Amino acid sequence: MHKRAYGALAVSGVAALALSACGGSSPAPSSNAGSAAPTVSDTSSTSTSAPAPAASSTTGAPVRDANVDLVIWTDADRAPTVKKIADAFGAEQGISVSVQVAVDTRQQFKDATKVGKGPDIVVGAHDWLGELVQENTVAPISLSADTAAKFSESSIAAAKFNGQNYGVPYAVENIALMRNTALAPDAPKTMDELVKTGTEIKQKSGGKVTNVLIQQVGKTGNAYYTYPYLSAFGGGIFGTTSDGGYDPDKVLVDSADSIKGADVLAQLGKQGILSTNVGDDNAEGLFDAGKAPYFITGPWATTNAKKANIKYAISDLPTLDGGGQMQPFLGVQLFYVSSKAKNASIAQEFVTNYITKKDVQLELFNALGRPPALTEALDEVSASNQDVKAFFEAGKDSKPMPNIPAMNSVWGPLGQAAADVISGKAAPEARFKAAQAEIVANIKKG
Amino acid sequence: MSQATKASPAQSMYRTPLWASVLKWVALAVVVAAAFVLATRLADQGYTLYIVVLALVVMAVLAVYSTRRAIPAKYLLPGLVLLLGLQVWPIVMTVSTAFTNGQTITKEDTIAAIQTNSVQEVQGSPRYKLSIAVPEGGDVASAPISFLLTAPDGTYEVGDKDGLKDLPAEGVQKTDSGKITAAPGWTVLNARQVNARKDLATFAVPTADGGGIKASGLSEAFEGKATITYDAATDQLRDSATGKVYVVRDARFVPQDGQGQAFPQKWAENVGFKNFQTILTDPTIRSGFLKIFTWNVVFAALSVITTFILGMLLALLFNDERLKGKGYYRALLVLPYAIPGFVTSLLWKNMFNQEFGLINSLTGLNVDWLGDATAAKAAILITNLWLGFPYMFLICTGALQSIPADVREAAKIDGASAGRTLRSIIMPLLLVAVGPLLIASFAFNFNNFGLIFLLTGGGPFESDNTSIGSSDLLITYAFRLAFSGVTPDYGLAAAVSIFIFVIVALMSYAGFRRTKGLEEVN
Repeated sequence: MHKRAYGALAVSGVAALALSACGGSSPAPSSNAGSAAPTVSDTSSTSTSAPAPAASSTTGAPVRDANVDLVIWTDADRAPTVKKIADAFGAEQGISVSVQVAVDTRQQFKDATKVGKGPDIVVGAHDWLGELVQENTVAPISLSADTAAKFSESSIAAAKFNGQNYGVPYAVENIALMRNTALAPDAPKTMDELVKTGTEIKQKSGGKVTNVLIQQVGKTGNAYYTYPYLSAFGGGIFGTTSDGGYDPDKVLVDSADSIKGADVLAQLGKQGILSTNVGDDNAEGLFDAGKAPYFITGPWATTNAKKANIKYAISDLPTLDGGGQMQPFLGVQLFYVSSKAKNASIAQEFVTNYITKKDVQLELFNALGRPPALTEALDEVSASNQDVKAFFEAGKDSKPMPNIPAMNSVWGPLGQAAADVISGKAAPEARFKAAQAEIVANIKKG
Repeated sequence: MSQATKASPAQSMYRTPLWASVLKWVALAVVVAAAFVLATRLADQGYTLYIVVLALVVMAVLAVYSTRRAIPAKYLLPGLVLLLGLQVWPIVMTVSTAFTNGQTITKEDTIAAIQTNSVQEVQGSPRYKLSIAVPEGGDVASAPISFLLTAPDGTYEVGDKDGLKDLPAEGVQKTDSGKITAAPGWTVLNARQVNARKDLATFAVPTADGGGIKASGLSEAFEGKATITYDAATDQLRDSATGKVYVVRDARFVPQDGQGQAFPQKWAENVGFKNFQTILTDPTIRSGFLKIFTWNVVFAALSVITTFILGMLLALLFNDERLKGKGYYRALLVLPYAIPGFVTSLLWKNMFNQEFGLINSLTGLNVDWLGDATAAKAAILITNLWLGFPYMFLICTGALQSIPADVREAAKIDGASAGRTLRSIIMPLLLVAVGPLLIASFAFNFNNFGLIFLLTGGGPFESDNTSIGSSDLLITYAFRLAFSGVTPDYGLAAAVSIFIFVIVALMSYAGFRRTKGLEEVN
């Protein structure tokens, strides 16, 4: 209230929230906290992680260690594993390596790199890429065609911006349909089936089950969870350019296909299947309390579901009537090399020849639990891990989340449009047309 | 001054003890030494202006504290320096940012980055296994570097700044992957030695088609070619692959023909009054401003009034001498103040949930607290009341305890009722003491970004416009405005914050004039 520490606390609180969105478990569509960007993961995912070695306890940016041959920044979740890998690489090359924890990795990397104090390598999500290029902070990485072919196609596409490659992928993640097998033993193929079975379960439960489907919406909406409804009909957010990248001049939010998806959102809202009262703050809690049979979420939610002793299974997102299967956004985790790297040669060597190894990708998987981007490693993991296999299957035809800076202008308007349609405040077609106009105007602002 | 100096009679009466002099000079030496260290660091980074400012501050410190003159300045200087550093400096920075486009990178850096980023592997060219070497006997740190290359077909080549030559296979040792580890006549550099060669960044073995063989890490090389070149004479970029020409507009390179994408990088540029002009002429800003401004004033005023009334009533209650265990009650009441505000805000957000929230389920209401414009405003005020009343309670308790007992007694003797005493004696005295704090509280709430951001995010938004929320304050609105575009616009954000500063300053000035009037009651 008064000028005391509240302001500072609020700011650090916002930072903490933002970082949990960019952090461990999320595909980090938190590009821009101001434009009501969705927090995909729950905030608990970072707080439950073990503290990293050599981590500073403050939220400030780490001070670059000047006396080593390679400096890597990552968040606290990943630091222990990255350190293990980097140490092995250091021993192989006869060099010293330092892995430092940057709590708000994305911002701290940008700020530090601009003044020449950043690391040589930073670990982050692929949707940071446009912004990092925009600020001249990352260097191209030349992967040979042979090496690139070892990765899933979409993960390589995600590391590209304007036709240039800037990162080496190590993990992919996407949302899928999670179900409480105690309530719903079988995976629904279609949304109609999901609604029908779910409603029966709800009616039979005698009030114990309150929701058919949990999906983050919130009062300001969530574009990340909205996208699959658009993609099911072939709609989406951006069209593509000739080189395969996303084109900020082709916004597809009001395309006929996207509006079909909006109609489904309106319908589900009307039936009470989706609600703006379910948001990032309570979605996981509701599912983990056994109050809903179905939950659209990502691998980050499995940890707490296990803790809550929920028996769950993962399956593909359902198909929508009149359209195809809902396709989620793909998030790809990358190793980036700084454009101002003091040890550029070693950094390039590490990402191109070491991170691309199967054993390294497996080690990263074992610690972080996301499907590896390297096909060989993925195959090995899928053979033994049902969750990973199912999550990968659900996203195997999906497209990477846009990594162009124009995406900053989409989160707010598209999320809000979805929320208004779900709550019945606005008609789908008119509302999505308005969102389109707003997004286009924002992009035009530059 | 030391004892050796001849002191005037007046001064000698207050002769400084030796230890104090020593302490003073040591402290001054420390200040000068610290400033020197700081100055060398600043010089390293090339901040000339900061060095000048620092020198002026140190000179002022020496002038004031090394002599016996300027006694008042000895007390004022620390405060002045802090005022300069913590208040004036940020204002200067904000104002100067408001006249720029808010970017920090230079045009030279941008051009260099665009060219580097445009390097693509030449189609169909071989990938070489690479070792970096210097001629035998040459200094590993400075001798001209050469690439020892193994082509995919197993042949060896050596590349230097003049081009590729064959490397005789005799005596060459290599790893399983084909990387050369030793060759007669060459010293192969190890990882650390390669890393130390900063000239490697610009080194390429020229090839016939105008490209160059470049290192990718320590053990691979590829033939790459920059597709984009910069022409300084025309200030244009040309893409040799597509033939597109890019010209400068608004501090970035855009396609000359208007077709296709501009480069995302923007460099720093002064834009004069453009940001201020935008604020005054932009249709979305103009349409939303009055509505947001009104709510902003109402929010700040109601927050202060509600928290003050609740805090004061509780303070009056707990100031009663007959009440036992006051310390415990007071400690309990301060609790909301002790919990971090952002935690409280998120908790309240949860409690306001229409379907699952505590408030609706306890009261049996079905209010869409965070989805309805009026309800959201009420929710914000309720949360802020919870957050703010302990502060008001504290300052009122303090002020009440400082009101002398004899004043009340006099009122009692004069036959004033309890209500009359409160209205005519206690309240005026209380307001004199807490008035300035109420104004400070108003100014703080006027810019209460955290509460709005965490509780409603400025929403709910009216259909088809997510730039103006019904619970937005000017500050949250400015934040969204500045960061909703493709590139964060710190320049515009700075300009908006200057407007907000002026508004708050004017209101606070008017408020302080009013409290001056109150003091005269005393």
